[in-house]
Amino acid sequence: MSEPSGSVTAGMSPTLQQADKPNRPDWLPMALVIGLTVVAIVIAVAVTPKFLTVDNIRAILRNAAIVGIVAVSMTPITLSGNFVSLGISQSAMAAMVSFVALVGTGMPQVFAIVLVIAGLVAVGVLQGAVVAAGLNPVITTLAAGAIIFGVVSEVSGGGIVRAGDAPLSWGGSTVAGIPIEVLVFLIVTIAVTLLMSRTVTGRETTLVGANRPTAEVSGISFTRVTIVAFAIFSVGLAIAGILNGAAFGQATAKSFPDLTIDSIAALLVGGTAIAGGQGSPLRSAGGAILIAVISNMMVLNDFSTGGRLAVQGGVVVIVVVVLDLMRRGAFRR
Amino acid sequence: MINTSTSTTIGGAAEKPRLRVRGLSKRYGSVQALDEVDFELRPGEVMALLGENGAGKSTLVKVVSGLVEPDSGTIEVDGTSTTLFPSARSQAAGVAVVHQEYSSVPTLTVAENLVLGQTGVSALWLPGRLNARARELLSAVGLDHIDPGTRVEHLSVAEMQLLEIARLLVRDARILIFDEPTAALADREIERVLAVIQKLAAEGRSVIYVTHRLPEVFRIANRVTVFRNGRSLPACPTSELDVDRVIAMMLGRDLDTMFPAHGTLSGDPLYRVEGLLSAGLVEPVSFNVRPGEIVGLTGQLGSGASGVVASLAGMAPPSAGRVLLGGKELSLKSRSATLQDGIAYCSADRKRDGIFAERSIRENLSSPWIRSVASGGWISTRRETERAGEIAARFAIDVKRLGSNVGTLSGGNQQKVAVGKWLGTTPRVMLLEEPTRGVDIGARAEIYQRLRDLCDAGLGIVVSSSDTAEILGLCDTIGTFYRGRLTSFKPQAEWTEDSLVREVMHQETAA
Repeated sequence: MSEPSGSVTAGMSPTLQQADKPNRPDWLPMALVIGLTVVAIVIAVAVTPKFLTVDNIRAILRNAAIVGIVAVSMTPITLSGNFVSLGISQSAMAAMVSFVALVGTGMPQVFAIVLVIAGLVAVGVLQGAVVAAGLNPVITTLAAGAIIFGVVSEVSGGGIVRAGDAPLSWGGSTVAGIPIEVLVFLIVTIAVTLLMSRTVTGRETTLVGANRPTAEVSGISFTRVTIVAFAIFSVGLAIAGILNGAAFGQATAKSFPDLTIDSIAALLVGGTAIAGGQGSPLRSAGGAILIAVISNMMVLNDFSTGGRLAVQGGVVVIVVVVLDLMRRGAFRR
Repeated sequence: MINTSTSTTIGGAAEKPRLRVRGLSKRYGSVQALDEVDFELRPGEVMALLGENGAGKSTLVKVVSGLVEPDSGTIEVDGTSTTLFPSARSQAAGVAVVHQEYSSVPTLTVAENLVLGQTGVSALWLPGRLNARARELLSAVGLDHIDPGTRVEHLSVAEMQLLEIARLLVRDARILIFDEPTAALADREIERVLAVIQKLAAEGRSVIYVTHRLPEVFRIANRVTVFRNGRSLPACPTSELDVDRVIAMMLGRDLDTMFPAHGTLSGDPLYRVEGLLSAGLVEPVSFNVRPGEIVGLTGQLGSGASGVVASLAGMAPPSAGRVLLGGKELSLKSRSATLQDGIAYCSADRKRDGIFAERSIRENLSSPWIRSVASGGWISTRRETERAGEIAARFAIDVKRLGSNVGTLSGGNQQKVAVGKWLGTTPRVMLLEEPTRGVDIGARAEIYQRLRDLCDAGLGIVVSSSDTAEILGLCDTIGTFYRGRLTSFKPQAEWTEDSLVREVMHQETAA
């Protein structure tokens, strides 16, 4: 009378209740990313004297912010079972270039911000609709990224787009000593985390990713969830582009070269399952900070970009393997 | 290898048992999985192993197949004291297990699969000799009609099951353990597998047959050993037992409480199905469900019974017909449409579309009604937990475990979650396919009782099941399907187990 997939535990217990297995606490992945960050900071402090200065910490958070905003806002896509976007750099770049260009025409910045967000959301929702219609999300976003890059390169002529004389000083400013992009990172993280954990939309997103057929039987629409996830992601991409546009006052089609790989790494290090149904935007934020700490430490110790990428990849592998082992219960008993 | 005299000594005490286990105990942590178990298997005998989930059957099978080392007890094979741990020793002693999961490689041919994993067979990798040897083995399991060159992926499920058996024969196994070999098979295919098992036993091999399908036990087993709470009951010849007696042995009590009393039916139909033509049907079906009525649809695999339920749920829009609920015509275009009209649905495959294994019990239970405990899109965790707790309590699911992942629960408790989640939606009609598949008897009784409670509250229920005992015990009205047609539809009182089984087999018994 055992289940086809009945586990060892199911077969050896004399009563029904005991046939249930113990549960894995869900704070473990969060503990893992925090633990790794603490370890990285301890190592960094030990090997790098300049690490624990206010300026350096500010630099780390600033680096973490852009990647973090993107990773956090992409988490709903991953949670919903739609993997990740491979067109991140291109979309953020498009937002940056168009924001700088719009401001350069003399348009009030508030309008430019609203327009850029609306434009990105339109492009994102279109991708979401295509994915919801059944196309593979990885292929869809890869293709969309190529198209966006092509269009922006063509329109901008491949050159530098400048905001002109517009007052973009807020871009690099600080509020109470905290860089503006770090504040925005904090707000985006809180907003998306609450959205995913406390609202119907968030719950439905997670459930669709956890098991799409069950979600459909329960009346949860994959189409709706997917489109909403792409819309949230697009807002995050627009914000990342606008922040960088404001900070630099200029942009090219080659902006954000590493953003795709960095934000996917941050999301994975945060322990969000690539297949969906498990994870949280808060953990993606933690992943972004962890990666920024490691990068910073390596930059201060004169490691090359190659070395930095290799270590980043190594951290992703470690986290994914550890989480997988935990999921299989290898750490139990 | 075949002792022709063995088949004549079945039931006789003259011969040494093929396998004798005495005082076997195994403890996992605080759980006594096997408690001083005795077990005996004679040459040429089919011994059925019965018991509820967790009664100790699987642990015994694991000990015999060498996967688990017992804490104490003795094991004799052919009168010689021996150890079966680890599995290499068990195999050397002639033990082989036919698993539920098929271990054949689908992209290789039948012949290649038969020699897969064998040592010293390199000479066989000549197509001619390989195929000749394969034909021998195939005919031993009744697969004469299969070309050894066929790729395994083209076989039916039953043929794969038989191929699995053939692979064990290569190893010349003398003690064959079958763990629910017919769970995924249709009746006619089951018949083939059972015939092969009987043939193997007639050759003098001993068979341990683990199942929960009692008719099969009475069809092929010589004796029955029942396990309960880690202890074994003395083996009993099948000829001295009947179904009720076996169930009473498994439960340690009588089965009167298994199925709740039937309801009293009155009033106009609540749910009308008119001329529905769903996938798998060749003729439209019409029937009514009254408030408080459980309608059971049954038939063999492919009879169309389960397709009707899926179609009513909005999972597969029918090509014709209409459905009315309280006089209002329902759309069957999509699942979300039927859900809005108050149609709850549990499919036969709860792992696929009944549960979120990696999410908590609370989130599973609230998944169909989460909107109703939210205001302005914000979930009230307090209200969600309260209502999920009420459902859990009604289904005897440990309320303290609301935060646990459903995947950690036993099959029975998973099914309770899959059914129970709909209680929060105040459904008007509930549709269920195979409501107790892979569910042990204790949890079954609870699920049956809850379904009856729902009916008493005025719900209509449609159940499709291939378990005739379940249909007969649970339902008020029973419809039988054969090859895409509703062949009869009448009140439960007009059926007997015998007439129902006959009707489900239809022309096959008539012919």
